[in-house]
Amino acid sequence: MTQAVYDTPQEHMGMPLPTPKVAMWLFLVTEIMFFTALIGTYIVLRHGTPAQSPFKWPTPHQVHLIEWIGALNTFVLICSSFTVVLAHHAAVKADMKKATLYVALTLALGTVFLVIKAYEYNSKFEHDILPGHIGESRLPDPKLGEPTIALDTPRAIEREKHEHAVGMQYFHRVQLQLEAIKKSSLDAEIQKECNTLLDEMTAPTAAEGQAVVFHRPPSPAEVGTRVNEILEKAEAKGITLHLTPAIPFGNLWASCYFAMTGFHALHVFGGIVVFALILLMALIGRLGPQHATMLELIGLYWHFVDIVWIFLFPLLYLV
Amino acid sequence: MTETGHATTHDAAHDLRVKAYFTVFIALSIFTAVSFIANEAVRQGWINLYTSVTIILAVAVVKAVLVGLIFMHLNFDWGRVYFIIVPIFILGVMMMMVLLPDIVIAWQPSQNPLEPPVSTTGTR
Repeated sequence: MTQAVYDTPQEHMGMPLPTPKVAMWLFLVTEIMFFTALIGTYIVLRHGTPAQSPFKWPTPHQVHLIEWIGALNTFVLICSSFTVVLAHHAAVKADMKKATLYVALTLALGTVFLVIKAYEYNSKFEHDILPGHIGESRLPDPKLGEPTIALDTPRAIEREKHEHAVGMQYFHRVQLQLEAIKKSSLDAEIQKECNTLLDEMTAPTAAEGQAVVFHRPPSPAEVGTRVNEILEKAEAKGITLHLTPAIPFGNLWASCYFAMTGFHALHVFGGIVVFALILLMALIGRLGPQHATMLELIGLYWHFVDIVWIFLFPLLYLV
Repeated sequence: MTETGHATTHDAAHDLRVKAYFTVFIALSIFTAVSFIANEAVRQGWINLYTSVTIILAVAVVKAVLVGLIFMHLNFDWGRVYFIIVPIFILGVMMMMVLLPDIVIAWQPSQNPLEPPVSTTGTR
């Protein structure tokens, strides 16, 4: 006689919990440690920066983060957590039609989350707010002028050389962007300011036999300050300029932002793949009440992903 | 208990669960709005930054606890999985404490950051 064998969770002596659930919790605690390391490092780095200008940690506005978009994404994930828990509930009641519908809804909401995230990432790429791209080397203070650094040790000289190289990379990036702006048609005042800065940045050339008056080109820090002023004016006029802003600690911020939200988005993508597989099972008629435990496990994972975002949202967008 | 009676109790328990899920969903949505409003309140000058940060972080903790207790069924399973979860929270706090001295204390300037640093010749 043949008997149907379901993947009924087995309980063991001393462990009053189904084995798959124990395994999922063990996996989740490793994930908790992973995200604690990322979030903890972010908090420590952020609070390690001085609180006074011009070396303040960037504000959400400076790095083009829009609070309501973050809040919307939080709401989308909360909705998906609700639908996945309803999917498990329907599976326990052996209502597989409803369970499938809720899984499909969860998948759709997860996809919406990633689409919104992609939109935000696109804005970061457009504004060049990327690790290693942002001008941040010691912006001059309006009251104190250019900072002076004592080059009295080999280490200080090495640091100065490195900062100079980073500063020059920023200088050349802005120069290319200004050349592109020169060819475009913009608001007259903004265009004039961009062109003036470009003229100051580029070395003077002269026809044969003519004398050249040499002017010291602006330092990367001065370029950063001027770029920020131009961007502020352009924003007030509602003009979007492709100019990389100078943001103290901007590179550190961008590294933290992409590491934390990138790994979180990868986790969301992983969940979406599993939901797609479950939908596929439902499509070929292989999803049944015996899979309620599986739905509970993917639900546990999905709720964990939701909890991570519950902390990322205020830390990045609000606080 | 008769079979029908058992089924009715079972259904009632299921309905209660769905109600609990829905209540938590509404609470989470409201709490998200509360954090957003607390953030706006600082900009408008209604409350100070520290009050806002306290509200926002407290709300995040409450939201995480609600998701854990109700959606992840920890209100039922806590007694069975606490031995896996508790050590992780202890380790998490320990990791933060290990990171603190190296970064925060080393970076925090004791004076104006624009002033030249004190020479470290002979000290390193």
